[in-house]
Amino acid sequence: MSPNLGRTFTRVLSPSRRVAGCVLLLASASAAESKDVLVVPGITGTPGGTLVYAQRSEAKTLNPLVASDSASREVIQRIQADLIHINRATGETEPALAKSWTVSTDGLHYTLQLREGLRFSDGQPFDADDVLFSFQAYLDEKVHSPQRDLLVIGGKPIAARKLGPYQVAFDLPGPYAAAERLFDGFAILPRHILEKPYRDGKLAEAWSLATPPAQVAGLGPFCFKRYVPGQELVFERNPNYWKSDAAGTPLPYLAELKFVLAGGEDMQVARFEAGESDLISRVGPRNFEALEKRRERRGYRLADAGPGLEYSFLFFNLNDLAASTSADLTARQAFFRREAFRRAVSLAIDRDALVRLVYLGRAAALTSPVPRGDRLWLDSSLPSLVRSVPQARELLAADKFHWAPDGSLLDPSGRKVEFSIVTSSGNPERVQMATLIQDDLKQLGMTVHVAPLEFRSLLARVFDTHDYEACVLSLAETDFDPNPGTSVWLSDAPNHFWHPEEKVPATPWEGEIDTLMRRQMTTLRFEERKRLVDRVQEIAMEHLPLIPLLTPDVLVAANGDLLNFHPALMEHNVLWNVEELSWKSPAR
Amino acid sequence: MNRVSRFVVRRLMHGVVLLLALSFLSFALAQWAPGDFYSNLRADPQVSAATVSGLRAQSGLTRPLPVRYIIWLTGLLHGDFGYSLAYHGPVAALLPERIASTLLLTATAVLLAWGLALPLGIWSAAGRRGWLDSLSTAGASLLLAIPELVLAIALLSLAVETGWLPGGGKVSRAHDAMGALARFGDVAWHMVIPVTVLVAGLAPVLMRHVRAALLETMAAPFALSTRAHGIPRRRILFRHLLPAALNPIVSLFGVSLGTLLSASLLVEVITGWPGLGPLFVEAIMARDFALVLSVVMLSAAFLLLGNLAADLLLCRIDPRIRRAEA
Amino acid sequence: MTRRRRIAIALALLAVVHVAALLAGFLAPYPYAEQHRDRPYAPPGNGFLLGTDAYGRDVLSRVLYGARISLFAGLAATLVSLVLGLAAGIAAGYFGGWCDRLLMRGGELMMALPWLYLLLAVRALLPLDISPGAAFLLLAGIIGAAGWVRPARLVRGVVLSARERAFVQAARGFGAGHGYLIRRHLLPLTTSVVVTQATVLAPQYILAEVALSFLGLGVAEPVPSWGNMLAELRHFGALTSHAWMLAPALVLVPVLLMYLVISDTLLDTLNLRQGRGA
Repeated sequence: MSPNLGRTFTRVLSPSRRVAGCVLLLASASAAESKDVLVVPGITGTPGGTLVYAQRSEAKTLNPLVASDSASREVIQRIQADLIHINRATGETEPALAKSWTVSTDGLHYTLQLREGLRFSDGQPFDADDVLFSFQAYLDEKVHSPQRDLLVIGGKPIAARKLGPYQVAFDLPGPYAAAERLFDGFAILPRHILEKPYRDGKLAEAWSLATPPAQVAGLGPFCFKRYVPGQELVFERNPNYWKSDAAGTPLPYLAELKFVLAGGEDMQVARFEAGESDLISRVGPRNFEALEKRRERRGYRLADAGPGLEYSFLFFNLNDLAASTSADLTARQAFFRREAFRRAVSLAIDRDALVRLVYLGRAAALTSPVPRGDRLWLDSSLPSLVRSVPQARELLAADKFHWAPDGSLLDPSGRKVEFSIVTSSGNPERVQMATLIQDDLKQLGMTVHVAPLEFRSLLARVFDTHDYEACVLSLAETDFDPNPGTSVWLSDAPNHFWHPEEKVPATPWEGEIDTLMRRQMTTLRFEERKRLVDRVQEIAMEHLPLIPLLTPDVLVAANGDLLNFHPALMEHNVLWNVEELSWKSPAR
Repeated sequence: MNRVSRFVVRRLMHGVVLLLALSFLSFALAQWAPGDFYSNLRADPQVSAATVSGLRAQSGLTRPLPVRYIIWLTGLLHGDFGYSLAYHGPVAALLPERIASTLLLTATAVLLAWGLALPLGIWSAAGRRGWLDSLSTAGASLLLAIPELVLAIALLSLAVETGWLPGGGKVSRAHDAMGALARFGDVAWHMVIPVTVLVAGLAPVLMRHVRAALLETMAAPFALSTRAHGIPRRRILFRHLLPAALNPIVSLFGVSLGTLLSASLLVEVITGWPGLGPLFVEAIMARDFALVLSVVMLSAAFLLLGNLAADLLLCRIDPRIRRAEA
Repeated sequence: MTRRRRIAIALALLAVVHVAALLAGFLAPYPYAEQHRDRPYAPPGNGFLLGTDAYGRDVLSRVLYGARISLFAGLAATLVSLVLGLAAGIAAGYFGGWCDRLLMRGGELMMALPWLYLLLAVRALLPLDISPGAAFLLLAGIIGAAGWVRPARLVRGVVLSARERAFVQAARGFGAGHGYLIRRHLLPLTTSVVVTQATVLAPQYILAEVALSFLGLGVAEPVPSWGNMLAELRHFGALTSHAWMLAPALVLVPVLLMYLVISDTLLDTLNLRQGRGA
């Protein structure tokens, strides 16, 4: 109690009121001490120490509303917290800032009970107004947050309503499967700091890395301490964090979390080996082998968490192109559209060689366009794709393809089957896969050119001008649940790679997939959704708009002295439980 | 206004015109490469095409090229280097530390390279056919023949294997806890590999040019006449030949000064040194216009100023040029 | 060793390498794209004299075929630079005035341009199914076109000093036209500069190809070039686990050295001749 306040009280109030006032103040003071803490069972650790993590590229901003690159998201999620969080180890939702919630019977209204007594890292209290402000900002069309579209269901945004100082209701415009998973990753922002820039229309420029640390606040395990451009970004322990371990020790254990810029995967590995960093996530298979060789010498831990949530695929240009585009391309589309052609290509691809030579065995061949790490949703009844060049040739012959005397394949109209595969030149694994596929398809008599393009030029060709023939690309799912990725399957969606934004489904099976995907998005029961998604996979494997290739394993490494290290398949593979990480003996 | 200032003003005006032309060409080139900063978001299934077009419109990427050029140019004339789409902030805030890091590297490399090249070049030209001379010439040739990047990778592999040198970056993990002297040593230790690679690429070239310049003057008639006069060799070398050979040497020094910002680009990228290089390459790949153009303009300005400085120096020391400019 | 003998030996060695590159089809034990998927990264021996790469392709064959791209693209770029430089230098030196100023200023401009951007743009705009060799020749042509400035400056210097020489004045007095003067009198004077520049530029362009491959702008798969073979060494572990992948560098360095020896000797000769003639 400040001395001034005391003097005011003694002057203004009568003695009895004075006593009541003091009691009230004391009560509120102790109430502020008691907050709704989340106890994390089963972990122990010693407080203290610094963890250094080397990033491939530099984080660009601390603003969750505008961050679009993975390096920024990597750091932002360590200083922010969300309402309902998906536990990366189990894949299930768990309470975060919302300590409990109820759902209406029709599934359209979620009432969330927020934790009470929490404070942001700068000491200001957290309540429902912060939640409402955050969602208002995320949904505001003028802010153009990349996360906004996750909150738009069937063209209509979800609405947030305040029910009380610690109670918020969310109204969905229509039934949505696994709606509570929506809240993961939506950082709850401090209204007391960001409301003014929001009103001034300058929210996008807020919280750049040059911002003074005192002006950045969050509810995450760490808070912003210092930034040295091009070198390091330092976070320190958030004293107001709302988690503790079973023994009552407040989390996080670590005193400091440092992100340093390594500049590339090889640099990351070099730093890790030299002991300059303590964790690596998503190492490439060759570097992993190199690390494996030196493990005894240096004493770090390596882990292969198995196939992850990324999947690579080959697809052909099935767009309806304007008459002005290249005549070659339009003519080639004639055989791209033939399903026998695509099936033959899929049969001829040696996925085992891809796994063995490109990923050194640390990948899993795909049976359907769902990443192998998504065991829950993968249709396990689909047979694995066995390579068979003779069967591929039969398929082609049955569809009236034939071979010229020199062995090259000709389509039914006599045209030589020749095309190019574009892929990102910056991703050596994909270029290698394209090269191996090129050689595989030569056995069918197809002439394939590999054209590595710089990534953004590639994207412009595939999505904007549609000026490409075939492409090898990969997608990284962010969740086990198929909902965030539906934009690939809906025929009128912009990410329907092979033929985006169709006004009407171009083929009956694409129409069927549309219906199935839309239904599973609004079906609330898991068994029924699984049936629908399985059917989509069956259709996809029959008609092959995407020819699935493989899913790489998640390869990580950590310092041997790190406790509670549990790599996960969902991002962030190693830092998802950074608040639980601890050093065996924090002399570091 | 005397002759020299008139010369400077004229060169500066030329420089401004050049920079303008360069800016327009770079801007046009930037447009040529397909894709823009938001192409990445467009490929993300979780972001709608409407959000992407909204972002594109907000950043002004949909406006026609001449309009964007004028806007950028007027901003630049007011000292505003533009807005970085990646960093969501003014470009000017991103540059100072990066420039300082790059200059630290290149200035050290230039000083070391000249410190090696000048004496070795003079010695070699003076005709002393000792083992040191043969060794240095052979070494210089070998270094010239080895691609800079292969050398960098070889040194880094060695560093990672043995741990004698850091595998990249500018500072170690414990840097913040070090005292001032230890910090200086830490940065110096990290500079060893990039500076070695830069010097290995620079010194041989410089040495050969110094040697060639001296040999050329040695063949001139006045050199023969000094020998005929019986003046001792060392005095001929330093009093008569070296000043005459300074013309190409000083021009070369001007080029060294001018490329202080751009020479280390690839080396910085490979060794992870946090200078302008990695920032620039990443900005090009990300199509972060304002950042790319600002770096291009700065490098070009450095080039022009370096050449100007060399020419001014030449004016000072070479009376022939002073007379020619009259 | 006399100068002439030095040049002769260096030229002979270079010739051997270039001829080997041309005859790669005969000399290479395997086709460059043939994959032996059961023997990736096989060490030298067992039928693979220099081991195999990531897909089991024979490194020796790839070095031989790769020489074609690296050496001849370098030569092509040099040719482009010299032709453009010669034309620009003669025009600037002979006609002088605004022509001279324009060309020299334009040259400064070219040296300041961000070439990375240009190369990215061109690569992105090329049609997708042009052969990798053609794509790379185009890129080499652009690098060459970017490098006309140095030769142009040197040629200009020669032309400027030659323009005032007595025999040129005399020829003009006799009514010789520009074309005749340039062809008969000025061009021969530039030969030494041009030849020397050729031996200076060629190695630079060969090295440029290596640098471009490191940035992903080199020749596309499966065509080998020394640059894209060396780019595979970017992983630090590669040098220690598969040291035979360094094979292209072992051929590249001597080739560059030979070019250096030739250009050095030519420069020395030029200097002496100038000294004597002055």
